[in-house]
Amino acid sequence: MVSHEDVIQIARLAKLSVKEDELEAMTKEMQSIVDFADAINNAPTDGEEFDNINNLSNVFREDVVVESYPTEKILENAGDKADDCFLVKKRCL
Amino acid sequence: MRYELVAGLETHVELSTKTKIFCGCTTEFGGSPNTHCCPICIGLPGTLPKLNKEVVRYAIRAGLATNCEISRISKMDRKNYCYPDLSKAYQISQYDKPLCKNGYIELSNGRRIRLNRIHIEEDAGKLIHQKGDTYVDYNRGGVPLIEIVTEPDFRSVDEVREYVEKLQLIMRYIGVSDCKMQEGSMRCDVNISVRPEGQKEFGTRTEIKNMNSIAFMAKAIEYEQERQIDIIESGGSVQQETLRYDDVTNTTSSMRGKEDANDYRYFRDPDLVTINVTDQEVEELEATIPELPDEKLERYVEKLGIPEADAQLLVKYRRVAEYFEKASEGTANPRTAANFIIGQIFRTIENESAKEEFDIPVSAESLRELIKLLDSKKIRMNLAKSTLDKMLETGKKVSDLISEKDMGGLDEEATKKLCQEAVDANPNAVADYKGGKEKAIKAIVGYVMKNSRGKADAMKAEEIIKQIIQ
Ligand SMILES: [Zn+2]
Repeated sequence: MVSHEDVIQIARLAKLSVKEDELEAMTKEMQSIVDFADAINNAPTDGEEFDNINNLSNVFREDVVVESYPTEKILENAGDKADDCFLVKKRCL
Repeated sequence: MRYELVAGLETHVELSTKTKIFCGCTTEFGGSPNTHCCPICIGLPGTLPKLNKEVVRYAIRAGLATNCEISRISKMDRKNYCYPDLSKAYQISQYDKPLCKNGYIELSNGRRIRLNRIHIEEDAGKLIHQKGDTYVDYNRGGVPLIEIVTEPDFRSVDEVREYVEKLQLIMRYIGVSDCKMQEGSMRCDVNISVRPEGQKEFGTRTEIKNMNSIAFMAKAIEYEQERQIDIIESGGSVQQETLRYDDVTNTTSSMRGKEDANDYRYFRDPDLVTINVTDQEVEELEATIPELPDEKLERYVEKLGIPEADAQLLVKYRRVAEYFEKASEGTANPRTAANFIIGQIFRTIENESAKEEFDIPVSAESLRELIKLLDSKKIRMNLAKSTLDKMLETGKKVSDLISEKDMGGLDEEATKKLCQEAVDANPNAVADYKGGKEKAIKAIVGYVMKNSRGKADAMKAEEIIKQIIQ
């Protein structure tokens, strides 16, 4: 069973704030998500270890260098940037 | 009461593949910030990581060289934590199905340090803290790492030191990493606890993160061991926590306690498919593992008759060992090459990292040529030594420095003539010798050696001189 404490802990790890009056509703929602996952977990698989939907394995690339992106492109979506770096203000940490 | 140290190590080793683990960006060290990046390694949504085949091969080779079992089925997982060095807020790593497990490294005292696992993962970016803000450079983000995790099998700082040096050497021998601790291509986390001698249960442990020098690591362990013993002796109890070591003050301080212990919520990375390794692949990789340092050491001592201390100096650097083997090939006694390398050649090399590079002006073939002239008695040791010095200085070949007329010892006739000359030229030494000072004869022999440019046989000359004087 999902408890209020679980929700608070998960929110903390995800850096989300949860208000007291939202807690009960969120706990119920979280429980229904877990139940849904349990339904998948309980699906009969005839003891076969189920790996991924396409049963793919060994998709590799060769160790060959390709050109990287220009720094401007890499930083294009950065909220803050300086000196060719992503900038993280102290308050965010 | 006497206490025993219990320590375990997690070592991160950067693999020297050309490209990153999930994209084709270069792994080259340094570079201007954010120039070795692409949408995959900065973790933009909608990108698809694809595993570098070479990373798997390197990691398996690392496993084989450290006596690990190689998993035939392995997979990648997401380790979730929120910190700016990870742009995705998770690191792609391996959780319950690492590529290699159950290995060991044997120490010189005969104890085996068990390896729990070796797994592959991506490195994080570099954070530069400045004026309260943090600048993030993702060039290192996505560089392939292996993490080598031991059981808590260390009982002394010396064991830790030997293990790290040995691991470093093995990785260099098999060529999977340069293991440069200063550049961060090898970093260690240490778990430390203490317990009263004889007690079976482990004490509460602390973890010191991210140490990049063997000397600091040894100091940090010693400091932490003492700190824990002090706490226990004064009736307190050690708190489980993660520490950072300050190499300036030689102290540890808390990074986070047990209550903020990371909860990584590992789960399988759905973007990356299962890694299947066949028996055939493992066999093929096994065949690429060269003779490792321990095996080399044993062969040098047992088969080649190199004194153990000398053999250790030769195997300590991969390139030196290779050079030695080439230079001594087909010579009468491998010790000759060993002595030249450890003596004259090492004297011209300033530090450890230069020995590691071992980029010297004399090729192994040239040294071998010189040794063969010695073997066939065409030149004598004095001349060989001075020639090697010149070779090291100028990079010239043996044939440029020694002419035909320098070769070949002095014949009996010429030696006798020179000895007579020496006796005539050193009346004082002759008188001293006759007066009972045996050592005085060395001066006369010295004259012969000097005037024959090292070509005379010193023993023979001494014999002849004695005959002349008496
Ligand atoms: Zn990239």
